[in-house]
Amino acid sequence: MPFREKTAWLALISMVVTFGPYFALVGTFAHGDALPNLRLLGLFAVAAISQMIILGAGRFFLSRSAPEDARVPPDERDLAITRRSITSAYYVLIGGMIVVGCVMPFNSGGWSIINAALLMIVAAELVHYGVAIANYRRQA
Amino acid sequence: MIEGSISNRIRALRFHHGEMSQGDLGQLIGVTRQTIASIEAGKYSPSLEAAFRIAHAFNVPLGDVFRWETVRDEEP
Repeated sequence: MPFREKTAWLALISMVVTFGPYFALVGTFAHGDALPNLRLLGLFAVAAISQMIILGAGRFFLSRSAPEDARVPPDERDLAITRRSITSAYYVLIGGMIVVGCVMPFNSGGWSIINAALLMIVAAELVHYGVAIANYRRQA
Repeated sequence: MIEGSISNRIRALRFHHGEMSQGDLGQLIGVTRQTIASIEAGKYSPSLEAAFRIAHAFNVPLGDVFRWETVRDEEP
């Protein structure tokens, strides 16, 4: 498996295991839209810090297990796959931001908008890494 | 549009060059071993520059490495 596919898997998994529970929790308990909401802010901090730790430890482990692969700069296939995956993620992000920025202010507020924006960013990242992995798998 | 596909002889050329490994060829042209495997399997079409580099690595013309095979339309 190419080193960059492994890092894409790592990023995808770290996103799912940290922000998956965050959005599951946020969706299940009732929270007001008042700002600031320390409980939600705390949950978000836990998710973000957990993701950073998983990414850092994962990158360290992957680099240690294949140091030569980690040093090699991305080649033309890696760059083509990155371009394709970022383009797909861009459409998800821009569509989501239109909903969050232009529709939600009329019927929601505060944390609902913040969480919806976060969800769109996470969704775009999932598409980014998902498309990259799918391309690597298809060309393997 | 003319329909067709690109085939290549990289595996045979590697064999004739002392069973050169995919990793060694990748290092010569500046791509990863996995990219060479992908090109060899016909799952990734390299850039023109990479194609020329591959041909140069084997010291053969580009046409000896890659070949365009046109899909012929059936006559009515």
